[in-house]
Amino acid sequence: MFPSIILLKEGVENSQGKEQLISNINVCQSLLDAVRTTLGPRGMDKLIVNEVGKTTISNDGACILKALDVCHPAAEILVNVAKSQDAEVGDGTTSVVLLTGEYLKNLKSFIEEGVHPRFVMKSLRQATNFAIEKIKSISIRIEDKDKEKEFRNLLEKCAMTALGSKLISHQKNFFGKMVVDAVLMLDETLGQKMIGIKKVLGGALEDSLLVAGVAFKKTFSYAGFEMQPKRYNNPKIAILNIELELKAEKDNAEIRISDVHEYQKIVDAEWKILYIKLDLIIKSGAQVVLSKLPIGDVATQYFADRNVFCAGRVPDEDMDRTLKACGGSLVSVVQDISDLNLGSCKTFEERQVGNERYNIFTGCPQAKTCTIILRGAAQQIMDEMERSIHDAIMVVRRTIKNDAIVAGGGAIEMELSRALRDYSRSIEGKEQLLIGAVAKSLEVIPRQLCINAGFDATNILNKLRQKHSMGKIWYGVDLNTEDVADNYEACVWEPAAVKINCLSAACEAASTILSVDETVKNPSAREEMPERGMRRPM
Amino acid sequence: MASMPGTLAFDEYGRPFIIIRDEEKQKRLTGVNALKSHIMAARSIANTLKTSLGPKGLDKMMVSSDGDVTVTNDGATILKQMDVDHEIAKLMVQLSQSQDDEIGDGTTGVVVLAGALLEQAEQLLDKGIHPIRIADGFELAAACAVRHLEKISDSFPVDVNNLEPLIQTAMTTLGSKIVNKCHRQMAEIAVNAVMTVADMEKRDVNFELIKVEGKVGGRLEDTVLVKGVVVDKDFSHPQMPKVLRDVKIAILTCPFEPPKPKTKHKLDVTSVEDYRALREYEQEKFDEMVKQVKDAGATLAICQWGFDDEANHLLLQRQLPAVRWVGGPEIELIAIATGGRIVPRFEELSPDKLGFAGLVRELSFGTTKDHMLVIEECKNSRAVTIFIRGGNKMIIEEAKRSIHDALCVVRNLVVDNRIVYGGAAAEISCAIAISEEADKISSLEQYAFRAFSDALESIPLALAENSGLSPIHTLTEVKARQVKEGNPALGIDCMLKGTCDMKEQHVIETLHSKKQQIVLATQLVKMILKIDDIRSPNDSMGF
Repeated sequence: MFPSIILLKEGVENSQGKEQLISNINVCQSLLDAVRTTLGPRGMDKLIVNEVGKTTISNDGACILKALDVCHPAAEILVNVAKSQDAEVGDGTTSVVLLTGEYLKNLKSFIEEGVHPRFVMKSLRQATNFAIEKIKSISIRIEDKDKEKEFRNLLEKCAMTALGSKLISHQKNFFGKMVVDAVLMLDETLGQKMIGIKKVLGGALEDSLLVAGVAFKKTFSYAGFEMQPKRYNNPKIAILNIELELKAEKDNAEIRISDVHEYQKIVDAEWKILYIKLDLIIKSGAQVVLSKLPIGDVATQYFADRNVFCAGRVPDEDMDRTLKACGGSLVSVVQDISDLNLGSCKTFEERQVGNERYNIFTGCPQAKTCTIILRGAAQQIMDEMERSIHDAIMVVRRTIKNDAIVAGGGAIEMELSRALRDYSRSIEGKEQLLIGAVAKSLEVIPRQLCINAGFDATNILNKLRQKHSMGKIWYGVDLNTEDVADNYEACVWEPAAVKINCLSAACEAASTILSVDETVKNPSAREEMPERGMRRPM
Repeated sequence: MASMPGTLAFDEYGRPFIIIRDEEKQKRLTGVNALKSHIMAARSIANTLKTSLGPKGLDKMMVSSDGDVTVTNDGATILKQMDVDHEIAKLMVQLSQSQDDEIGDGTTGVVVLAGALLEQAEQLLDKGIHPIRIADGFELAAACAVRHLEKISDSFPVDVNNLEPLIQTAMTTLGSKIVNKCHRQMAEIAVNAVMTVADMEKRDVNFELIKVEGKVGGRLEDTVLVKGVVVDKDFSHPQMPKVLRDVKIAILTCPFEPPKPKTKHKLDVTSVEDYRALREYEQEKFDEMVKQVKDAGATLAICQWGFDDEANHLLLQRQLPAVRWVGGPEIELIAIATGGRIVPRFEELSPDKLGFAGLVRELSFGTTKDHMLVIEECKNSRAVTIFIRGGNKMIIEEAKRSIHDALCVVRNLVVDNRIVYGGAAAEISCAIAISEEADKISSLEQYAFRAFSDALESIPLALAENSGLSPIHTLTEVKARQVKEGNPALGIDCMLKGTCDMKEQHVIETLHSKKQQIVLATQLVKMILKIDDIRSPNDSMGF
């Protein structure tokens, strides 16, 4: 009997070898089931309630995985790949997870048969590179960017495809236009923060509106606010970072007064400080005063007296966008205020939206920003709308930067699959099988589309294979007629960048999972962990 | 290991793995089971509300956790008070809430409609139709219904000089409420209130200018509309005059106190002289303040803050009536109504900042010591107050809600004057139109269309049932007449007035409200139908 060598601290989990690899793959498979059914226009939503009772209803792969609170290390890789797709291109998060899972599933048998994981990874990379080249070569570009109408049309089609699988699929024409309008308002850098999304309960989805400028909710107001005018034409806007309240100027200061008559002087001095500030603002000619910090009741009434509108405690991001839209600059010291750092816009008004009141600035001179006000019957609906709109915005931005497109609805995947299969036959050795497996994996997208819609997947897939082998590269699943159709003609378009990113991210994730053959996990600081740790595969 | 719940995954070596934190504590429902459980939850909510629909609908009594009793038949209020826990039920609550926010009326109808749609969807699911196809079909049908509503809508005369039609409409809304005892009076109050405030050019009504106040005591019939402001306060000193005429009002947001700096300060009183000086100073200050107010020409001071007895006495001596502790919103209303300016400092008082009111009087009620201040005949009569009296607090609360509904309806008519006929006439008409449309559709959506049409009929059914009529019999009769006569104004005769023609009965609803009901309900149903997987902590399921 050899004494056992204790290498690791007690409670540290250590598992290794091929079994570990297989086990990781299986974990990914079962996580996949959580998002599998959300793919495509006939995909379903998931409802997730967390411990504090917050409900999330979503169709967005990244959002679902985030809400699931995954704690298995291998499964977390899948979550991260969805997140990265979300951050990089915004759309196709479900596809990327699905693809990773399918790669792993089809390559698992090779691992079991004893092919070295490194070799599998190499082939996977090779296949992915080939596929990306293929996408680049067959993607369609709008040659003439000057044809504005055509370019716009392209953007709208892409936005609509992205929205097709969401809750608002029926309003995709409406929202597609809105998203394209919104993105086209931005400047070249296409900063996504410049599109504000606000949500107001009530109203039909079509009541959502796009404001070419800034809109934000009425802030907390003091007495006197109602007496201020609520509409201006060509106002000057002062954007401040100054507290306009009667208060102690210094927090820890203490005054000792020896004579009671000094009292009045100090009070007067305090008032004077505030009044000097207010006077300077009025003198600058500003008609709308916004501040990040509170504007107190005295100031509110002072402004009301002089027909000036004010809003205090404006949230930071709204302020940023107001600055971008109306020009001017953020003033932190009243003495600095002058005509130069005042912003302006064509009209400012307070408008009733549902049950809320909104401050709306339109006709801004540097309108490189816009606001979408969403309406819906319930908070969760609007949350989901926001995510969908976000996806669409990302897709449109991507397309503007890189205008190549491919046909969606499984068409591009089928074509890649065919090309890879042909390519694999030209290779000698083990790679042939492995690349063949990758080719097979790509078919998961059209297959899942069919399954989600309740179609006969085998039948549709066979039809697609036949069409693609005849060189009709844009044939994909047609969900309306339960058949195959030319999805390029049907205007189901996706930006090529989304697909390329999807392929490379899935490849990276699969490789990462394949390259792990040992997990060492320290016991968590949480108390119940050791007990749970016992159940983990050793 | 044997006690592991079934949701746990095992790999092919028989080893379990935990992927999601606390997975064993979660409950997961998938596929048709999930849908069915949602539909059940939503339907049970809808069924609770069903009996509150219509003029003969019954009220619900809710006791909150701290013993407050609410009696109401306003859908949104009932659901809010029910404090539901189920996720889907919460969605239903939000649904009625959003109808309340947007329209203010029809909150029961929208929930009943959503419940009925889900009920129909369940049958379609059993037929094996894909839930998204059902939802899509519903959405198409809703679009069709909205189009139809626009076709059958009538334009409604909103005329400042002839308020009669508006009053009739407000009466429809109030018909289902507890206040229908003095139906007409309430309707007149609501219409007058809105018309006073309404901006007919912009077609806009600012609700901030209408205040609804209530006081226990008296009868509902004693409810009045005050063209001015009612403040639940009295004069600061009992000996001050109770009625003032041609009042100049100083509206102050500073206390009748010696001014204090905001900076932390400390005054050391070391000797008797010092103390006297302080005392004198204070008195001097009071004197000065009252003088400043008087000098400006004010005959009434309304103060946001309080003042102590000494100041109070001084005010009485100087014959300056005053009101203390008036809340911020009231101060604002008074300022708007009297055309005055809110003054933050005594030094800034000047004659042009004073407000003007023709009459300020103190109202006292019955034997109680309660007093209220009424400011009337103001310079700007755009601010109004509806002052409700009633036997008990619950009635007043319910009356407030009812008046709010009526105000909303009148406002909606001012904003958009297209109407449809109530008494479920519009629903029946839409149901007929949609079922006709259904026959023209070649795809699966045909079933969804029929189901939508059936769901719409659940509203007249519930109405008839609540009115004590034979539901199916009444509905079929009205439906037959609508088809035969082509008159979309035929509805359920809930009040048993002997005619089904809602035009004659003046049962009117705004087009906007009906459209919203259909659109919102469909939206929510679509969302519910799209969910096929729920994960929730184990204990939060069920009611």
